[in-house]
Amino acid sequence: MTVDTHDNDDQAALLVHAYVDGELDPASAIAIEQRIASEPALAVERARVEALRRALREGLPQEPAPAAMREKVRRAVGPTRQRAQPTWMALAASLALAIFASSTGTWYAMQPGSGGSVPDAVIAGHLRALMAPQPADVASSDRHTVKPWFSGRIPLAPRVVDLVQDGFPLVGGRVDVVNRTPVPSLVYSRREHLISLTAVPNAVGNRASQTVQGYNMIAWTADGMTYWAVSDLNLEELEMFARLFRAAPS
Amino acid sequence: MSGDDNTARFERIVQPHLGDAYALARWITGDRADAEDVVQEACLRAFRAIGGYAGGNTRAWMLTIVRNTAYTWLARNRSAVVMAVDDLVSIESANAGQAATSASGRYDANPEAELIAKADAARLEAAIKALPPQFRDTLVLRDIQGLDYREIAAVTEVPVGTVMSRLARARQRLIEAIAADDR
Repeated sequence: MTVDTHDNDDQAALLVHAYVDGELDPASAIAIEQRIASEPALAVERARVEALRRALREGLPQEPAPAAMREKVRRAVGPTRQRAQPTWMALAASLALAIFASSTGTWYAMQPGSGGSVPDAVIAGHLRALMAPQPADVASSDRHTVKPWFSGRIPLAPRVVDLVQDGFPLVGGRVDVVNRTPVPSLVYSRREHLISLTAVPNAVGNRASQTVQGYNMIAWTADGMTYWAVSDLNLEELEMFARLFRAAPS
Repeated sequence: MSGDDNTARFERIVQPHLGDAYALARWITGDRADAEDVVQEACLRAFRAIGGYAGGNTRAWMLTIVRNTAYTWLARNRSAVVMAVDDLVSIESANAGQAATSASGRYDANPEAELIAKADAARLEAAIKALPPQFRDTLVLRDIQGLDYREIAAVTEVPVGTVMSRLARARQRLIEAIAADDR
């Protein structure tokens, strides 16, 4: 904001606060800086405000919202009644559940007895990524940037291959949660479509391609992991992506 | 399908701010259990309003609802706590000349700055709780929750100039309270 800095002492004190808060436009900031340099009272005010801000920032512990409250909110407003789970996993699961409830249920039947099935969680992760400002937590087309990003965050770094020559540039990577385990997801693109490729430990065997609510899914097993590719890309090109990924040298 | 849309919007717009919502409600009500009730009620209000939410700053939008819900809640459950507007106006005008005097009163106050920076959590918390509500809200939104002046103006529904003066008064009161404790 622009303020007349030569009003009176009271006004000057207010400007010192606004200056410390970074709320002044450059010209006003310079003007008040000059006054602080020449007027000890204003220098004192500045030191006090900065000290207080530091104390409030460092001295007051931030208390997270209680899990029970989050759960009550979710029960009151959320789409489905869920058992208590870590917040965003429940969000992902409920999203997936909403989708699967209205689908044929074929996929659900393939995962007998498991409360949150792997495809549920993989699709939910993909949908979350589409809703988020960025589909990837690390945005890079360089696999030598993306692969190291995973180490330190999750125990197993995924295979990352470069498919840009084949028209599937790497967008980045993110960590999803499947069965309460953090797992790596790679994000590739094809024209305007995004492909999430999620690597889940424990091989479950190859799967036939499936279409669920407009999303195509392909799964295959390699190196003791099951790779799940999900996208709104047409099945033919998604299968091509899967073939290329499996064939590419890592 | 519109119910599902609203649920998805709620998850995108409101869920990320539940921590801030709870913190603000706790400062206003001064009580954890009350804060939980306020946030739940605010979430229901937000959910009902979310179809008409026109975009913009989601945090400021949610915190506005939380603050309004908290004051409605206080008026309903603890009417004595809410300060009358008349009182506040008199405090604000009574304090109008105080900034300059407190700033120019002592030139040797740099040891005081050190003392302020080292104030412990309990002392700070007590001093914040002792502030008049509107001063406290402004200070909490700025110095604890990190909103900028324009966001605070939106949440507390006053002009930016009022945010500036309330914030300065609130900080000066805290500084005085901490300094007084140490004498």
